[in-house]
Amino acid sequence: MFDNTMTAKQKMLHEMVVDFTENEVAPFDMEIDRKGDFTDGLFQKLIDTGFLALTLPKEYGGAEFDPIAVAQTINDLSYGNASVGVTLEGHYKSIDQLLLYGNQALLDEYLPTASQRIFAFSNTEPSGGSNPTGIRSTAVKEGDHWVLNGDKVMITNGGLAEVYTVLVKTGDNEFSCFVVDKDMPGFTFGKREDFIGLRGTPVGEIVMDNIVVPESHLLGKRGQGIEIADQAHDDARILMGAVLTGIMEHALKIATDYAKQRKALDTPLTELQVIQEKIANIAISKELTKLVYQQAAINKQNHLPYMEEAAMAKTFGSRSAVAAGDDALQVLAGYGYSREYPIEHLIRDARALEIAEGTVEKMRSAIAKAEFAK
Amino acid sequence: MKIVVAIKQVPKTDSVKIDEKTNNLVRNGVEGVINQFDKNAIEAALQIKDETNAEVIALSMGPNDFETSLRGALAMGADSAVLLSSRAFAGADTLATAAVLASAIKKIGDVDLVVFGRQAVDADTGQVGPIVADKLDLPQITYASSLRVIGDSRVSAVSLLDHSEKRISAQLPAVVTVRSELNKPRYATPRNIMLSFDKDITVWSEKDLDVPENELGQAGSPTIVTKVYSPEKAAKQTMNLEGDPTTVAEKLISELSAKNVL
Repeated sequence: MFDNTMTAKQKMLHEMVVDFTENEVAPFDMEIDRKGDFTDGLFQKLIDTGFLALTLPKEYGGAEFDPIAVAQTINDLSYGNASVGVTLEGHYKSIDQLLLYGNQALLDEYLPTASQRIFAFSNTEPSGGSNPTGIRSTAVKEGDHWVLNGDKVMITNGGLAEVYTVLVKTGDNEFSCFVVDKDMPGFTFGKREDFIGLRGTPVGEIVMDNIVVPESHLLGKRGQGIEIADQAHDDARILMGAVLTGIMEHALKIATDYAKQRKALDTPLTELQVIQEKIANIAISKELTKLVYQQAAINKQNHLPYMEEAAMAKTFGSRSAVAAGDDALQVLAGYGYSREYPIEHLIRDARALEIAEGTVEKMRSAIAKAEFAK
Repeated sequence: MKIVVAIKQVPKTDSVKIDEKTNNLVRNGVEGVINQFDKNAIEAALQIKDETNAEVIALSMGPNDFETSLRGALAMGADSAVLLSSRAFAGADTLATAAVLASAIKKIGDVDLVVFGRQAVDADTGQVGPIVADKLDLPQITYASSLRVIGDSRVSAVSLLDHSEKRISAQLPAVVTVRSELNKPRYATPRNIMLSFDKDITVWSEKDLDVPENELGQAGSPTIVTKVYSPEKAAKQTMNLEGDPTTVAEKLISELSAKNVL
């Protein structure tokens, strides 16, 4: 469906990514889940093929692709393995905020290396997630520099990323974002989470112990932190819709392939209405999630509001993808329940996105508030 | 060093249709992609470029929509692209195609190496590369499974045939056709994809080339295709081998040997 609306550039990118996914990602899908890692070879291929530079401006060595193409790329890669899509999503949303809010000195310091190393965005702390009142980390101005202290957890790509945007308190009920990197004195990595899904993507902790940064590392203005974090969430949620579409495409492929070659007694599974219903449900959910994330990406491209559409893509897509995995599992019955097939990890992967980047409950609240405000 | 890579755009679909009247492949409405073997040719040229900073020029003959494949070659890393396109070229067989390609290579000038894929997957002749070498009076190495440029003057390759391989070295300029065993074509990076659309593709017609009119297109094509057809799909023969694993393995070896597979 989407193919017809692609520009020639988007189409060429899409074809390359599909080819890359088929040959470099999909064959390692199960292994990535089992090992909890894709940094052995595949990560370097992602860098060498230029995926980290997808959204970077041309002057920084990037491809400067548009939000629609970026979302399609995440969709295509996630069909092969959702962790690969989520790791790049974390990188792209961080780059987005640097481009939107970063001063020239900050851009010149970090963007030339952004095609070679992962960037991350961190706001969650042990005392709170999306709610900024839980933030305890601080930045204190001392002369012409800032001193950062605190603990950030549940960071997508935490431990893998080398550059971090952190949301910290800069005053009473005042929050700001700063950019720190792993080579700064006082920066250490903490523990990695042992999550049940998206196991290829590291989710970890960083500790800031008197990290000193210059004024140029303040992202945006002092006190603009919450706005920047909200913006990062919105950007991430578009791409989460794309990840979830990829997961559902994968579930649909497994279920249809199985149904086409399997009989129940003498009746092909494809002729059984109970099977048809499950296949149709997966297909409907996949397509609707795709339409919503595409709409959000189109709005972003056209500088129109997209908070609601992005939240819808993540909310509808995550519950639907868990259900799609469950439907696919049921089509394969005993084989679906076996770890020999990837369906069980598709369900675990999808489940993560009912929580990450704002719970679906918080998303529904945001969508409802936006509707009331109309 | 200047390298020309000749590429062909072929139908993307596996289910190629044949026009019953003309006996030609139906190309209208069928999405085109770079012939897979030609991607190996592009990669071969780009590897030489990586080592020697050679200039790589992608060359193709066909209708305007062949620009898609030339754009793909640029996205892989070729420096420039030339499309040979004219109604006068229509209906060309391998001889007439080679005449146009050879003339274009002469016009590009100072070309050290011309690289082709071993054959196009739509027509499967493998003739164009060798004919171009003949028309340009250049040495040729076909079916290369390894390729190395030695200095500015020679190319060395292993020519891999069905039951043998030959190690061949030739004086540059030369023509080489390459096999898929030679390399794994690189992916076009997103940045190169984007930049490829900033480049112009040069288009030449017969007016830009030096090919006699009677060697162009249908007039220059002595080949007459009397019939093109899809091979009949024979029912697959199956055989059940029974017994313990050792017995089954022995029976399998025996059967395969009897069919000259082993």
